[in-house]
Amino acid sequence: MIESFKMGVRRPRIDIKLVAGILGGLIFFLGVALLLPMIIALIYDESSWSAFLITASASIIAGAALFFAFKPSEELRMREAFLIVTFTWFLGSLIGAFPFILSGTLELYTDAVFETMSGLSTTGATILGGETANGIQNPAIEDLDKSLLFWRSLSHWLGGMGIIVLTLALLPLLGIGGMELFQAEYSGSTSDKITPRIQETAKLLWGIYFGMTIIQAFLLWMHPSMDWFEAINHAFSTLATGGFSTQNASIEAFDSAYIDLVITVFMFLAGINFAMHFRLFSGKFDSFFKNSEIKFYSILTLVFITIVSLTLYITDNYSFGNALQYGSFQVVSILTSTGFGTDDYTLWSYFGSSLLFLLFFTGGCAGSTGGGIKMIRILIILKNIGREFKQILHPQAVLPIRVGERVIDQSILRTILGFFVTYLIIFGIGALGMSMLGYDFLSSAGASIASLGNIGPAWGVFGPVDNYAQVPIAGKWLLLILMLIGRLELFTVLVIFTPWFWKN
Amino acid sequence: MKILIAGAGEIGFELSRVLSEEKHDVTVMDKDKDCLKRVTDNLDVLAVEGSATSPLTLVEAGVKNSDIMIAVTSVDEVNIIASMMAKRLGVKSVIARVRNNEFSQEDSPITPSELGIDVLIHPEMSAAREIHQLIKRASASDIVSLADGHIQLIGMRIEKNSTIVGKTLNDFANEFNDFSFRVVAISRRGSTIVPRGSNRIMALDQVFIMCKTENLKELITAAGHQDAEIHRIMIAGGTQVGHILARMLSKDQQKWEIKLIEPDPDLAESLANELRNVMVLNGNPTDPDLLAVEGIQEMDAFISVTDDEESNLISCLMAKHMEVRKTLSLVSKSQYIPLSQTIGLDAVVNVKAAASDEIHRQIRQGNLLSVKALQGINAEIIEVIAGNQCKVLDTPIHSMKLPEGMLIGGILNNGSSEIATGNTVIKKGDRVIIFATPQAITKVEDIFR
Repeated sequence: MIESFKMGVRRPRIDIKLVAGILGGLIFFLGVALLLPMIIALIYDESSWSAFLITASASIIAGAALFFAFKPSEELRMREAFLIVTFTWFLGSLIGAFPFILSGTLELYTDAVFETMSGLSTTGATILGGETANGIQNPAIEDLDKSLLFWRSLSHWLGGMGIIVLTLALLPLLGIGGMELFQAEYSGSTSDKITPRIQETAKLLWGIYFGMTIIQAFLLWMHPSMDWFEAINHAFSTLATGGFSTQNASIEAFDSAYIDLVITVFMFLAGINFAMHFRLFSGKFDSFFKNSEIKFYSILTLVFITIVSLTLYITDNYSFGNALQYGSFQVVSILTSTGFGTDDYTLWSYFGSSLLFLLFFTGGCAGSTGGGIKMIRILIILKNIGREFKQILHPQAVLPIRVGERVIDQSILRTILGFFVTYLIIFGIGALGMSMLGYDFLSSAGASIASLGNIGPAWGVFGPVDNYAQVPIAGKWLLLILMLIGRLELFTVLVIFTPWFWKN
Repeated sequence: MKILIAGAGEIGFELSRVLSEEKHDVTVMDKDKDCLKRVTDNLDVLAVEGSATSPLTLVEAGVKNSDIMIAVTSVDEVNIIASMMAKRLGVKSVIARVRNNEFSQEDSPITPSELGIDVLIHPEMSAAREIHQLIKRASASDIVSLADGHIQLIGMRIEKNSTIVGKTLNDFANEFNDFSFRVVAISRRGSTIVPRGSNRIMALDQVFIMCKTENLKELITAAGHQDAEIHRIMIAGGTQVGHILARMLSKDQQKWEIKLIEPDPDLAESLANELRNVMVLNGNPTDPDLLAVEGIQEMDAFISVTDDEESNLISCLMAKHMEVRKTLSLVSKSQYIPLSQTIGLDAVVNVKAAASDEIHRQIRQGNLLSVKALQGINAEIIEVIAGNQCKVLDTPIHSMKLPEGMLIGGILNNGSSEIATGNTVIKKGDRVIIFATPQAITKVEDIFR
């Protein structure tokens, strides 16, 4: 750096070379990751190994070339960070789509990108098993090569990994959507340089992510109806709160209370801030159980499980055990934005399904792999509403908003309210877009929020037993962009499209 | 005793007055000429002009021969530095006012003794503590805990409709003879009476009564007060005292409903952020609209602790007008104290007096355990241990020849307390609680030595 000063080199406002170099590095790693499904293909003696080898080697070569051509060594700045994050997910989807095409599984590139974006954004919406608008019949999930099934789950898992680091290490530094609020929860390096911080945070959190995946895979493997392959796939999908399954009928295919229980518990855990998991594992039980967001999340989950299960028991004639099993699974699955299914909630009585519709807007805790608005934001918004009422009665009172012991700064509150409003506006635009393509209100609104909230299954014609194959190409791009925007906390993507981003 | 006082502000002046009246050899230093002039004009003390952080000035003020140095300038840091230097220069004992109470916490990296300070005083804290006590006893104007909390001295105003108005103290005592108490002083229109059995109680008297802690409630009822519980409290002013008080109240187990009014928006915000169970209002405490909106009529207590004494009195008067049961005001001008009783305030708290109490406790040595001055009354409560040469051992009180203006209120003997009656006998080692006017105070040590 000192040298560049000596040479009198001034960095441009957006250092495209730096962005390209870092993206090259990330593409390189994506290529390496693509070798894993190739190994699966070789183990099961599937012809799709070549598709993975071609994509992987192309990515590795291109990534390495970019990286070494630009040798990124400069300090990352805010604008470059926004570009890198957005393009990581976007390019990842464009590249990760190739194995579906090269192996001959999917004909439409759009479908392949949709599936990969759905994977990397941990959404879990699929176009498999249906007929597209152009009359192409996409294969059913069970008919896919195991390597491609593994790639779907792996894309979830990688996306989850990315999102943990993004929300806990990078976004707080960029001040996105009040994320700086959660920064203090994690005590790691205090370096204010972006790169060393991310690396240190990433190592710790990925260790926990990895460990929890292993534990869940083992617990699932204990059940006779799951082999190791399915156990790993579902563990990947659960920890990332994704929702891809190896079965067309999702978890319902296994029809086991034990599997339902394991997955319900791990979906719930995946919806908790991974920095808090880190605290729990390092023996700081107090800060875990006294965390306001976790408390709110747990209470909300319990309340919804209770009401939904009772509704199923009373109005839908489920047995008590079934009501609890299916009620809790669906509630946790939607609340955490996973999207696994053991029951078709669109067939429930109105009250039960309306309750579930509310949960489409919640999402897990911040710093988890869950999508949606996030618990902490909802908690703060609710507290703010309470404060507004109190302020009317006491016009001159100074009423701070507290989360736990912490007082929420006005600027953070403003960002969170801004986030909430923007979220609803984008949800509205997405729903309008889908209805322009000819879908009814419930299907349009459902598809929009299910994509924006990274949930997957939606309502109407996109219910948990249906898929997105029939959506026209424009609609698929709309939905996958919604997934990207929702996954990256709105502003990370949207800010790139503002004029101020490119001007000084 | 040779005493050096650094700082001739409100508290420094008050201390100089009290200590010089007690015939101590007082030197006051301050860098402000006007403050010093006020001291020399009014009091019989030596004044030295200069900063307390200057070693030369300290030496000039005679720090080397002083017994005690009291650092009470308005700045913590000056007090600390002056203390350190004075200790190094050979003063025997150092008392310093430090408002930042981090130093007295256990985990403080530096202890007060390392700073050369023997005793830290925090007058605002003491004042807040006093108010806190008074809130707990709604009908008291003063409350002093004596003999390790076994005996209480309570000051009450006698209302016009009280049943004891017009009775002599003997009648009063006979009427409620199921528990013992002793009226130790009556303040009537600004003058203090150390009463005898034949004195009559009049309406609007301020009476000071000593009783055992467990009889406090009965005593309050006997004096014609309902000791109703206080729930809703309004504090005017987020000053040091207001802040500390609000913090104390919010840590209480009791379920208070506290509102605090502070005119400065930034201070109001930082108070609101800190004090969880307190509703902080940003506004002027004398603004009648604000008080009405926030329901002053429903308040059980109104406590005015702003820096502006006059507005304290005015807002308390307003509160009284709105029929708030208990009004408490921070007043430090001694001229206002009798006035506050006349206009019906329930109690006044004085930061200066709180400081001088604290310092007195440190200065008086020997058998004297503690001293407490009472507001608006020219007398003090002293706790003393009856020593070997005590002149009144084994004599019933009625045959003791105590000087004018001295009265024995109670005795603590091996942990059991007793309110003094005519037949009470003092034994060696007893803790005796004495009520004495300033003229009599000097004789206390002489008698009980």
